[in-house]
Amino acid sequence: MGTAPILQTNNLGKTYHTGDITYQALKNINLELAKGAFAALVGPSGSGKSTLLNICGLIDTCSEGELLFNGKNLKGVSNLELTNIRREQLGFIFQGFNLVPIMSIAENIEYPLFLADMPVKERRIRVADMLERVGLTRFAKNLPDNISGGQKQRVAIARALIKRPSLVIADEPTANLDTNTASTIIDLMHHMSREFNSTFIIATHDDRMSSRCDTEIHLVDGELQ
Amino acid sequence: MKWLKLAYANVLRNKRRTVITILITAIGMTSLLVGGGFANFTYQGLREMAARDSGHVIISHKNFVDKEEEVPMQYGIDNYQVLANEIRKNKDIRFALPRIEFSGLISNGDKSSIFLGTGVDPAGEFKVKGPFLTMVEGSVLSRREKLDEPKVIIGKGMAKSMGVSVGDSLTLMGTTTEGSLNALDVTIQGIMTTGVPEMDKRAIYVNIQTAQALLQTEKVSTLSIYLRSTDDTDAIQDYLQAQHPEYGYQTWLVKAFYYFGVKGIYDRIFGVLGVVILIMVFFSISNTVSMSVLERTREIGTLRAMGTHQWEVVRGFTLEGLVIGSFGSVLGTILGFAISMLFHVLDLQMPPPPGRSDSYPLAIDIPLVLYGTAILMSITVCMVAAWLAARKASSKSIVEALTHV
Repeated sequence: MGTAPILQTNNLGKTYHTGDITYQALKNINLELAKGAFAALVGPSGSGKSTLLNICGLIDTCSEGELLFNGKNLKGVSNLELTNIRREQLGFIFQGFNLVPIMSIAENIEYPLFLADMPVKERRIRVADMLERVGLTRFAKNLPDNISGGQKQRVAIARALIKRPSLVIADEPTANLDTNTASTIIDLMHHMSREFNSTFIIATHDDRMSSRCDTEIHLVDGELQ
Repeated sequence: MKWLKLAYANVLRNKRRTVITILITAIGMTSLLVGGGFANFTYQGLREMAARDSGHVIISHKNFVDKEEEVPMQYGIDNYQVLANEIRKNKDIRFALPRIEFSGLISNGDKSSIFLGTGVDPAGEFKVKGPFLTMVEGSVLSRREKLDEPKVIIGKGMAKSMGVSVGDSLTLMGTTTEGSLNALDVTIQGIMTTGVPEMDKRAIYVNIQTAQALLQTEKVSTLSIYLRSTDDTDAIQDYLQAQHPEYGYQTWLVKAFYYFGVKGIYDRIFGVLGVVILIMVFFSISNTVSMSVLERTREIGTLRAMGTHQWEVVRGFTLEGLVIGSFGSVLGTILGFAISMLFHVLDLQMPPPPGRSDSYPLAIDIPLVLYGTAILMSITVCMVAAWLAARKASSKSIVEALTHV
């Protein structure tokens, strides 16, 4: 018997209403992502990538169909419970890094563990280990403003993975980086997804990124191709 | 503790804005302390003045307050020395002073005027009056005064009106307890001022024996009880009432019209001032937090995406209100204390209030309870303002917050 997919959508759709205008951003999305998958979400601008990513990341809801996370149907689940699922099982990597500027690199990475109420001693050990993995040990006490873009994205990856999440949502993680740095970041994400057996969904325009993924999800005009 | 550390770090993000907000909170808090301290000093002064004038507890005949006397001293107290000696044994009582209230005509031979007289026991009376009776000329009455050479202290308005000074003779005319007229020659021992010009034109003080000789009585009108602490007034009244139920009792509060008048006005003035200050602090904090929330919208979206609950975000901002309120309160307390000390050193005087001739010190006496209340109010206002601003702003959807520019 195979294991349940980490993420499954059944006829999922998203419709926006603005006054009398109705816009259907996603239509009949049927998707299954296995545990440990490293999936690229590709498509032209306005195809609905971000909308699908937001719904998969549980920060937005669908208008039609259903979303199952770890086999659990999330229809009607409260905001409180969705927040708890994100807190425990999801990691986010943003195009603009979105680090907290008043926290040091180590504190940014530590934040998800702090939310999880992990004891300080254990937190420090995990953070030190993660800093070493992403090669930022000597920058631990730096503020995000004092490191480069590539280093910031490494911090963001470390922050997303520190709690060993089931699913990582990455929105154009290499868009703001130069070619060499982007390549390093792709390697790092791929390596860590294998190491932590975390599922990745990566919205990207970057062919190098999508070529490293084992699954490609094509979206055009809100529909899977 | 970590949340508080985060709040502290967030407060320091925009130092200039934070400093201005802290200063506004501190100035608001200082205004509350200085205004409250001034009102408190004034209340204390007026309480003391009222209590020193009448005594904390006034013992009289049961009918003295409610009924009009047909002849002087009809409702006086007999054998007051026995009662006074017994009362003085209580360690909380400083003085039990007999008084006779009487009125009549005073004359210098050429000119007559109405007087409002008080017969007093000089041994205690002028000690309890303290700064509330000022001698302009001469000296206060003495208990060693010879019965056949009675003395009088008159108000400076009366002295001016009659053209007399210390050492001059005057004649007191009054109605005896039998209803007949009596006269007594007295020598001016001193000229005083009560601080109320109208009183200075009418008031006189004589030795209690002099008053008794004029009225031809052995009684006194009242026995004024002075306590070591004004706060014990009710307890001592109850105690005395239980010990001597045959007498009537009043406290200084019944005669403190001026105290209640001023307190009523000041309570309203400082109450409105306090509310205005707190509203000012409220909007200042509200504005600061709203701007801060707006600037950090994307960050709030990120934190919420990572699993931070909305109430945790709001708590963070509320703690920032706590941090600002605490710094503002500490600074406000220091400023308030410094200003109160400065006023003590400078010894500034306020102009005489309406109906009075004496100025009074402009002092600020901030009680500990006022410090505590002002600190609590400032911090609470800061936290509530921050909470309201953050609550509204952080309710934005995560997706919207993440795309905020």
